[in-house]
Amino acid sequence: MKLPVVIRGVEFANPVLAASGTFGFGIEFPKVARRLGGVVTKALTVLPREGNPPPRIAEVFGGVVNSVGLENPGLEAFKQKVIPRLKKLGTRVIVNIAGFTIDEFLQLTDALNLPEIDGIEINLSCPNVKAGGVNWGQKPKTVERVTSEIKKRTEKLLIVKLTGNFVDPAETGRAAEAGGADAVTVLNTLFALVLDETGSPLLGARTGGLSGPAIKPFALFCVDRVANAVKIPVIGCGGIMSGSDAFEFLCAGASLVQIGTAHMVNPRAGLVIIRELAILCRKRKIRTLTEIIGKIRGQK
Amino acid sequence: MLSRHGVGWASISPYSYTRKTLVIKTDSGFLAKVIEAKWLTNNIFSVWLENPKSQRKPKPGQFFGVKVPTHHHLLLRRPVSVADFYQNRIRLVIRVVGQGTAAMSQTAKEAKWDLLGPLGKPAPLVRQKDVIVCGGGVGIAPLLYLTKWLKRNNRVTVILGAKTPSDLILLDNFRKLDLPVSITTENGALGKKGVVTDLIPEVLSRTKKPVIYACGPKQMLLPLKQLAGQVTVLGFLEQRMGCGTGICYCCGIKKTIGGYLRVCRDGPVVNLNQVLL
Repeated sequence: MKLPVVIRGVEFANPVLAASGTFGFGIEFPKVARRLGGVVTKALTVLPREGNPPPRIAEVFGGVVNSVGLENPGLEAFKQKVIPRLKKLGTRVIVNIAGFTIDEFLQLTDALNLPEIDGIEINLSCPNVKAGGVNWGQKPKTVERVTSEIKKRTEKLLIVKLTGNFVDPAETGRAAEAGGADAVTVLNTLFALVLDETGSPLLGARTGGLSGPAIKPFALFCVDRVANAVKIPVIGCGGIMSGSDAFEFLCAGASLVQIGTAHMVNPRAGLVIIRELAILCRKRKIRTLTEIIGKIRGQK
Repeated sequence: MLSRHGVGWASISPYSYTRKTLVIKTDSGFLAKVIEAKWLTNNIFSVWLENPKSQRKPKPGQFFGVKVPTHHHLLLRRPVSVADFYQNRIRLVIRVVGQGTAAMSQTAKEAKWDLLGPLGKPAPLVRQKDVIVCGGGVGIAPLLYLTKWLKRNNRVTVILGAKTPSDLILLDNFRKLDLPVSITTENGALGKKGVVTDLIPEVLSRTKKPVIYACGPKQMLLPLKQLAGQVTVLGFLEQRMGCGTGICYCCGIKKTIGGYLRVCRDGPVVNLNQVLL
C-alpha cells in the first residue's frame, strides 16, 4: 500500500519522516532513510558547534530529556562531507537550520539552494541554546520576521519548527504562515529539569528538553490546535512510537509525522511505523491518507 | 557499515496492536533468551544469552544495547559491554545501578531481552607486545573477552582490583586463561592491599614498551591517564547514552583538542590521551 502525501508540489512517498536530532544527518542509515518519507537532518549552524557539556541525556518515566545543544560540524564541513552523500540517499531531504542572528539564517538558506535538498526547516524551538532557538520561537513577531526574510531567499519547501514552551503554538503557527511558511512542525521538546539522587541537576547543561511518549498527548493537543488555526499543512511530532500513534496524529490534523525518540531506541523504528500505519489503513479500508488527515476537526 | 544495524520489532511493540504481523528481519537486532543468570556479588550479576538466529560475532570492546521489553516506560537501551562470547551465546555482566539494570536483574530468570548490536568500534588489538590488562570493579567484565583475544598474539599480564574479595568478579575465568594475574583489594583481604593502579609501576618495570588496556571507574582511569605520555593507554569509556548507534550525539566525552567524541561511535575504547576525563 502506498501512502503518498504532497505538500506544495513536493511529494513524500509516505507520511513518516525522521525528526531532526535523532537521525544524525540522514546518511548514517542510508538503507533505512531511503524507505522513509524523508529525513530532517540534525540542526545545522554556520559555525561548528561542540554542544553542551555531558551528561547530555537522562531517561525519565516514559520519556527522554536531552541537552545536546546543537552539536554539528558547521556549514562548510556539511557541504563537503554530508551533501555529496545526501545526493545518493533517494529520499526527501530537509535540512534543519539554526541561526543565532537573521544573517546566519540567511547565510544558511543561501548555501542550501542546492538540488540535493528538498526543504528547509527553521529551528525556532531548540530549548538547549542560549540565543536563538526557543527564545525566538516564543515571539510570534520574530517568527514571522525570520520566516519572511528566509522565504525571500529560497524556493525550497519552507517549514517552521514550533515550540510549545510557554507560548500558544497556534499564535506562532499563524505568524509562520503569515511569514510565508509552507508548513509548520508541531512540536519540539518541552523544557525539562532532571535531578540526580543527590538533588543536583543531572544534565551538564542543567536543563534540557523532554521528548518521547510522555509528551504525546500534549503534542496531539497542539497539532489539533494549530491545524485549526492555520491553512498550511501541519507536521506532527512528539512521542510517536508506533503506527497507531502516527495514525492518531494524522487524525488530529497532521499531514506528515516526524519520528524522534523512537529512533534512539531503534534506528529502524520509522520503517516499523510505516508498515504498521499501512496495515492499520488497510484494516480501516482507508484508500488515501486525505480521508483521515484532520478528521477530528469539528468533532466534539 | 552502520547501516547494517537494525533491530527487531520488540522495542516498538508495546505501543502497537499490530505487532504480531511485524517481524522485520535484520541481521543485528534480535530477541535473546536468558539461558543462565547468576549473582556474582551482591549487586553484579552475570547472564548468558542465546540468540536463536546466527548473528555477527562481537569483537572485544563492543557492546549491546539492552532493553527489557516488558518494562515499557524504560525507553532507552542500556549499553552493556560483551564479557564473553561462545557459539552464538553472549555473556553480559551487569552491575545494578538504576532502574534499567534493576529491571534486567528482575527479569533475568524468565524473560527475553531485546538486544541491538554489536555496537561501537572494536578495541584496537595489538600484536607481539607486552600488554597489561587492568580492571577495577565491574570494569573487569569486558576485559575477559578482550584478554582472550589479546593472549593469542601478546604477552599479557592481568591486574584486577576490587573493594573486597567478595566484590572481585570473574577471577576464576581469568585464572583459567593461564596468564599471570595479580590482585588488589582495598581492605587487603586478598592479594595486595590498595587499588589496582598501585601495581602499575611494578608491572611497568618488568615489561618493555607495554600497552595498557584499562576498564574501571574514573578514579582508576585518571592515574593511568597520567601515564599516557609514556605508554599507550587504551581506556574503556562510559557515558550516559541515547541511541548507541551514533545518530543522537548524546554520549559526548570531551576531546583533548576541540569538541566531543561520541562514546558509541568513536569508542568505547579510545586512547586516553585523546580525551579529558
